[in-house]
Formats: sequence, structure tokens, C-alpha cells
Amino acid sequence: MRHWLLLLRTLVLRPLRADPLRSALTVASIALGVGVVIAIELAGRAATGSFQNSLAAILGPTDLEIVANGGVDEKLMAALTALPLNARFAPVMEAVIQVEGLGYVTLYGIDTIASADTYVKTDAAATLDNCPQIALAKDLAERWGRHVKDRVRIFNRQFCVAQIVDARNGGFIGMDIAEAQRGLQRYGQLDHIDVTVDPSESLQAVENAVRRVLPAAYEITRPGARSRENQRMLRAFRWNLQVLSYVSLVVGAFLIYNTVAVSVVRRRAEIGILRALGAARQGIFWLFLGEALLLGLTGSLLGLLLGRLLASAMVQLISQTINALYTTSRPAAIEFTGPTAVLGLAAGLLAALVSAFGPAREAMQVAPTEAMSRGSREHRSRLAVRRHAFFALLAAVAAALVSQVPPIDGRPIGGYAATLLSIVATAFLAPLVVLRATAWLRRPLERVFGVGAFLGARSLAASLGRTSVVVAALATAIAMMFSMGVLVGSFRETVLVWLGQQLRADLYLRAAGPAATGAFPPLPAGIEAALRTLPQIDALDVFAAFDFRYGPDRATLGGADFDIIRRFGRMRLLPGQERDAILRSLPGHDNVLLSEPFANKHGLHRGDAIHLALGPRQVTMRVAGVYYEYSSERGFVIMDRGTLRKYLPDQPVTNIGIYLKPGLDQNQAQRAIETALSRFPVSIARNQQLRAGAVEIFDRTFAVTYAMELIAVIVAMLGAANSLLALVLDRRREIGVLRYLGASSSQIRNMILTEAGLLGLLAMLLGLALGLVLSVLLIYILNKQSFGWTIQFHPPYVVLAGALLLIWLVTVLAGLYPARVARRLNPIQVVHEE
Amino acid sequence: MASLELRHVSKIYSTGDQQLAALRDVSLTCRPGVVTAFLGRSGCGKSTLLNLAGAMDFPTAGEVLIDGVSTTACTDAQLTTLRRGRIGFVFQFFQLLPTLTALENVELPLLLANTPAPRAIARERLQWVGLADRGSAYPHQLSGGQMQRVAVARALSQSPAILIADEPTGNLDTASGEQVLQLIRRAATEFGASVLMATHSLEAAAIADVRIHLRDGHIESHS
Repeated sequence: MRHWLLLLRTLVLRPLRADPLRSALTVASIALGVGVVIAIELAGRAATGSFQNSLAAILGPTDLEIVANGGVDEKLMAALTALPLNARFAPVMEAVIQVEGLGYVTLYGIDTIASADTYVKTDAAATLDNCPQIALAKDLAERWGRHVKDRVRIFNRQFCVAQIVDARNGGFIGMDIAEAQRGLQRYGQLDHIDVTVDPSESLQAVENAVRRVLPAAYEITRPGARSRENQRMLRAFRWNLQVLSYVSLVVGAFLIYNTVAVSVVRRRAEIGILRALGAARQGIFWLFLGEALLLGLTGSLLGLLLGRLLASAMVQLISQTINALYTTSRPAAIEFTGPTAVLGLAAGLLAALVSAFGPAREAMQVAPTEAMSRGSREHRSRLAVRRHAFFALLAAVAAALVSQVPPIDGRPIGGYAATLLSIVATAFLAPLVVLRATAWLRRPLERVFGVGAFLGARSLAASLGRTSVVVAALATAIAMMFSMGVLVGSFRETVLVWLGQQLRADLYLRAAGPAATGAFPPLPAGIEAALRTLPQIDALDVFAAFDFRYGPDRATLGGADFDIIRRFGRMRLLPGQERDAILRSLPGHDNVLLSEPFANKHGLHRGDAIHLALGPRQVTMRVAGVYYEYSSERGFVIMDRGTLRKYLPDQPVTNIGIYLKPGLDQNQAQRAIETALSRFPVSIARNQQLRAGAVEIFDRTFAVTYAMELIAVIVAMLGAANSLLALVLDRRREIGVLRYLGASSSQIRNMILTEAGLLGLLAMLLGLALGLVLSVLLIYILNKQSFGWTIQFHPPYVVLAGALLLIWLVTVLAGLYPARVARRLNPIQVVHEE
Repeated sequence: MASLELRHVSKIYSTGDQQLAALRDVSLTCRPGVVTAFLGRSGCGKSTLLNLAGAMDFPTAGEVLIDGVSTTACTDAQLTTLRRGRIGFVFQFFQLLPTLTALENVELPLLLANTPAPRAIARERLQWVGLADRGSAYPHQLSGGQMQRVAVARALSQSPAILIADEPTGNLDTASGEQVLQLIRRAATEFGASVLMATHSLEAAAIADVRIHLRDGHIESHS
């Protein structure tokens, strides 16, 4: 062991130390790769971790939960408590509300009298007469700066803090259920009834007895079901982020391959000597694998630190995306656990091992008498070009085939495999592209930039083995950036067009406070009637939406005025569906429209039957059509408001679109309406405001993606600089000979800069080709299978061209330092080195 | 006029606080068409002298004059121009660029100097060394002797006034060495170059017009 360590120090550490810049660049690329993986893991977990139910802190543990779409009828409590069971039934209201100075908070309304033993424990309560009491979770109270006996404003009313609850995942306000119902305007309704079963009683027996009392459409779930639902809903989102986070690591792996391959090439003679001195093949293999592992380990350890730092920056962004697209959540604390550290180390080391395997094997095969020149090695790689091109073809065909595989367990496995295979195909194609392109370009380059450029082009082709790896790495990063750019640009354009069609009303009205996905605060009662009396109003598009369960998933169910939508709106249905006829078929019938993501997620089509649990009843409706929708991945089921009222008569109105009479001044009309509605706590937004807000949410949503792509490109740039430096150091004697033959230092600089420029150009060409393939995979397969959206292909040409030009310029700049090193080489020293 | 003249040239290398005199007060003159061989043990200063003569290095003291111009007074750009047009190098280990074909290797100095019709000249030089049919071969596809002949062709591509050969046969078998020596001899005669050749070999020294023995950095004998 000691000998092995000594050998490691002499034969691995020393060469790495002798080349500090290159070693540092390789370590940095791994650190960045691992850092992104860890950051996404930590931030993703923290952003979704806040779904843990904190109700147990005030109600104690519960065994069952009774839930129903549209709410549980409060009257059911009487029937349940009358059951001869050793079980406690606790009615609960649960909502996310906005509190001034605090933002979004979960509100629990509970029966404080029945739960007195667990809820209000302090004597303080007794002293707060005539003031409705609330309990605050400890961390929320600290954040808000409130203490017991303080007075606070919620629902525009005053409440008194009676208790601070020590809850682990807490960020909630607890109040009496009657106060919650009053504040939420949901009299007679409960969100769920929690059942706690006495240990003496059989849980199954209680469930059976309760089931007999419940209406058919009511459900009995186990605690934590909501949290599991949310986690499942976010699974595709998190999975996509995680997969994306590995891109930087893949790029980093290319670079480890390059570093070790260069090391093997440079030390061939040394390997020969070692073999002659008695080193076994396995020993040589482990020597180079050890070098990669050392780089991987150092990079991974740094990556863990970097990941933890990046996670703090990312958690807010991811949380915003979840809030915008899925459901309301508040990020939990970032927890750096042992398994996370293991994941980071394993990812970094695995990338190092896999990428170094090939070069290490090559080193193992060096014979003791090895004296093969660089020329013959490179000649051999040129001979392998055709074979590699054939492999590229095989990988491309395999990619095309697996891309057609339907999603497995909701995950687009085939799409991801196709992406990986496309990258593999590109890597195999890179040598052919480098060889052909440099052959075509070297004479024109010589004419324009002189012999230095000719030599640069020649040298790239000549160092084919190494050049193609760098080109493939850079191309992969560029392709990922390009395809994400195309996806986001296309998505953005699609959403903009859709917003233009969807948002036709002049003004939009909803309950005061910012909107949150999955939360549908009701508009105050009487507001619709008040609006209809106003002379400025031409038509009202009234919408009642609520969060509902469909099988194991959650979505939004809404009641809309289809007559108004048909006359005023531009709702776009999927191709082949006749809009007017479908919209006419909704009022007065048990028909629904489905949003595209909902239909895709549940495999429903026009004409299918859909079974919905509405209040106490199970209702079967017909899918009249499927419409394009991009506001929420959860999906929508929309029926006519009349139909909704038939099944859920008390469902409150949540949004109103106002069509003003033609010819009116919008500003004046808005002011008049605001004055007329001043007594209602509502928010009125103009059409343009709403669109701008939607675009802002959209842009924020993709900020994380952009950040990750940027890191992948930075890793690739580090790789380009690293590889150019390697090329210079590896050919230092040739550069020295050139100086002997009369090359000026500017010719040497031109040669290296041409290599950098060509490297960037070739990577860009390949990256664009791969990027187009990945764009198609992302838009039509990965996105469609993960989220169910149809995105029109709209690449943002100008932005992409600008980004590519910038990358190319930075690649050329990355050649400046190697060019400086090349210029400063002492020709006498390097030519007489051996 | 002499193509090359060394006047009281010394070269001292400093390594830390130690100083090593590689050349001490060396003076000599090389004329066109004359082959001068430098003999002596390893470390006697042969290579240092050739590097100074080839305008690759500067003397610590004294002057190296090429076509009457002192190299010490030249800028880096002027030295580059000098090397391009007036000096050709042949090395012990050939030093062909492994990534270029034989023809491209010969063509390289012409391209660097932006000489018109480089390909034609390169072909002519390859033919001159008897390798017209091997132009498209890469160095690893050539024998040692062939590689050194390509190196000679490359060194002569610009018809240099000075041809510097550092142990040109040191890495070759006897027959190949003989071929290369004949080429070097012909280069002096046909191109009128001043040939400066460092060698250990007596066979190589035998083709020289002048033989200079170096010992510990100074000229021991002149014959």
C-alpha cells in the first residue's frame, strides 16, 4: 500500500503539480458540474419540502382524512360524531391566504373548543376577551415579529395571538373554524375532516363505518396524501431539472477524458520505461485511473461546497416556478445531508472513472518498447474516422427509434435516451467533421490569415484524437444551450400568441392579493350583481374555479360562461375540433372541456367519458373538446357555470373578465368601476398588465434553466482553454522547430488563435446540428410527455445568433493564454529537450 | 565576404549562483561553399556554437556577424527574417513536423517566409534529395535516413547562405549516414552554402573542408 502511495505521489501527483493550470481547469470543470447537480438536488428538495403537513402540531396525529371536491358538507359532522366509535372527528378549513407584511401563509381553521386539549394551552387566551384568537407557528411568529397577546390583521379584521406553536415544518396560522369560514366566505363547508382513532379501535373498522355514512363521491385518505400528491405532481418538474443538471457533468466528463488522454499521450515514453522496469499492465491502468479519480475527488469535494452555495441562490427561483406552475409552497430550509454528499461524490467520481477508462486502457496497452510517434498515433485515429462515423450513424438510428417509445411511469425515458444517443452520435461524428472541415478551410484560411492559420487548421486535423473530444464537449454544451433557447423561445412565443387569444376581456377582476396556483380565493358575494348594474359593462365572463382531485392527481375544475366565451373570447381548440359547435354544446349539458395538459396526462380525448367527484356525487360527463392552455401544468376541467351550479350550488365566483362597451375610454371606465367596487377587497388588472405579468412569471420560471445552461457553457469554455493549452504543451517541440524554420512569434500566435477559432467554429456547427435535433426532442417529445403542452416551433434567431457569436468570441479569447505560452517557449530548450 | 563570422564569442549560462561557460572567446570565419565540422565531446560547446551561428541565441560577449550584420543588434523580427532567408537547420532527431507530409515539411519554411511558388520549390528540393516519390508520405511512414533527407531538403528550401547541421548522422545507420553526408557536401557545392556541422563521427568530419576541435568551450585545434 505504502509503495502504491509512493508511486501515486511520484507518477500522478507530481505531473499534476507540474501542470497546475491545466489541473486546476479540469478540477474546476468537475467542481462546476458536481456543484450544479448538488445545487439542484438541494434546492429542489428545499423548494418542495414545505408540503409537509404541519396540522399535526395543533391537532395531534391523525389517522384518516375525509375529503371531497368542492368541499365537505359541514352537516356531515353530526352523522360522524354520532357513530359509536372510539374516534375523534376534527373539522378543518385549510387555505393559503395572503397576509399583509407576511406574504402567503397556510391557514388552518379548526374547532378550537373540541380541540382545546391540543390547541390553546396557555392561560393567555383567557385574558384576550372579545378578540378572536389565533395560534401562530413559531418560525412564522419570529419572521413576523409577533408574540402572545399581540394584535394582528387578517381578512381585514383584528385577531389576537393566543399561542405560539412549536411546529417543525411550520409556517401557519391557526384559528377557529367559524372565523376561517367567515374570512374565506365558505359557510357550511369544510376542506377536510381529520379522524383520530383510539388505539383500542381497529382502523379498518372505523374506516368501514365512516365510509357507510359518507356520500359516494367523498374520499377517505391517509394523512400525508396531499403532500404525496404534490410531490408526485412535481416529480416530472424535478426530474427534468435533475436530468438537466447532469449536462454540465457530462461536459466535464469529456474534459476529464481529454486531460487523461493528453496525459497518456505525453507520457508514453515514461509508460514504456515503467513497463520495462517491471510495472504490470494493471498497475499502469490504475495509475491513470488514479489520476482521474484524484481530479474527480478534488473536483467533487469543491463541487459539494459550490453546490451548497448555489442551492441558496436557486431555491428561491425553483420555488417561484413551483408557485407559478403548480401549487403554493414556501421553501423549507436547505438540508445538506450525508446522502446528498454521497450523491455528489459518486456523480463526480463516476464521471471521472467512466471518462478515464478509455485512455487508461490505452496506457495499459503501451508496450515496453513503445516508440510510436504522435504522427502514427494520429494517423491511426484518422483511420478510425470511418468506423466512428459508422458508430455515429448507428447511435443516430437508435436515437430515432427510442425517441418513439411512449413515457414509462410518466417519465419520458425514451426521450432522454434519444438525447443521450444524439450526444453520443455527435461525439462519434466529430472526428469526421474536424477532418473534412479543416481540409476545406485550411487553404482559404491561409489566403486570408497567412501560414499561421494554415498550420493551425492543419494542426487541429493532425491532433484529431484530442481535437474531436474538445469539439464534442463544446458542441454538447452549445447544443444544450441552443436547444433550451429554442424550447424557451418557442414556448414563450406560443404562450404570447395564446395569451393574445385567451385574454380578450378589457379588465380582469379577482380577490385582492397576488394570484397563486392552486389557490382560488373567492370574490366577495354580491360583486357580480354590483358589476351588472354598471353602465360601462358590455359583458361579464364569470369564472368559478377550485382545486379538485382527479384520481391520484390534483387539477383545477372551473365553471365558465360559455355563451360569453363563444361570443367574445377566442378560446383555441385542438385541430379538427369545431369551436362554435363545441362551445354551444356545453351550457345545459354534462359536457366538459379539458385543457391539453390534463387530456394528455390522463389519456382523455374528445368524446370520451370522464368521471368526476362533485361534492357528494359521482358524475359522468362527456369530453366535448380539448383546448390549448399554458397557464398551469396541473390542467383544467371546465364546464358551463350552470352545470357546475347544478352539482355544487355554493361554489363561489373566483374571477371575472369584464368586457367594456365599445368606444369607452379604458382609463375612465376602469376608474369608474374601481370607484363602484371600492367597498370590495378586489384587484382589477388590465388586459396588458395581466399579459405582462404572465410573461414575467414565464421568464422567471426559466431563469434556473438558463443558469444551468450557462454553467455548462462555462465548463466547456474551461475545457477549450484547457485543451488548447494541452495542444500547445504537447507540441512544444514542433513549435520550437517552427521558430528554427523562421516562424515569427506573431505567426505562432496566429496559429494557436486559428486553432481556437476553428475549434469554436466546428463546435458551433456540430452544436447547431445537435441543438436542432435536441430542440425537436425537447419540444415534441420530452416536453410533451412530461408536461403535455403543444409548443409551436419558434426559435429566437437573433438571441441565439448573438449567444453563439459570444461563445465563439470567448472560445477565441480562451486561446489567448495558450498562444502567449506558445510564443514564449524557448525554442533551443524545447527542441533539445530529449 | 564571409557568410558568418564569430568574433571573440563567449557564452555563459547562469544557473543560480553558478556560472557555466559553454563557449570562451571563440573566433572563426565561415565562407560560402565551405564545410566546417566541429568536433569534440558532449558538452564541449558544439551545439551552443551552432545556436549562436543560427541566430537562435545571443552571445554573452563578442559578436556573431551574419552577412556582416551583428545578431546582437537585431530585433526579434529581424532575426526571424534572417533565419527565414539565410539559415537552414538540420537536427540530429530530424525534427520533422509529424502532422505534415514530407512535401509539406519542405514547403513549410517557404510558406513562413511567404515565398512565391512554394510547392514547386519544395518538389524540386525533394527531387534533389532523391525523394520525389515520397512527397505525400508522413514522417512516421519514412525510414530514419529518408526523414533526414527530407530535413536536408527542408533546410535547403530557401537556398540558405548558412546550413547548420547538428549531429546529422548521429541517429542513422552507416549507409543512410553516408547518403546524408553526401547531400550536405553537395549543398555546399551546389547551393554555395557555408555548412557548419557538429559531429562525433570521423566519417562525417571527413567530408569537411575545415575541422575545428572544441574542448571545454574553446577552440583546441583547427585543421
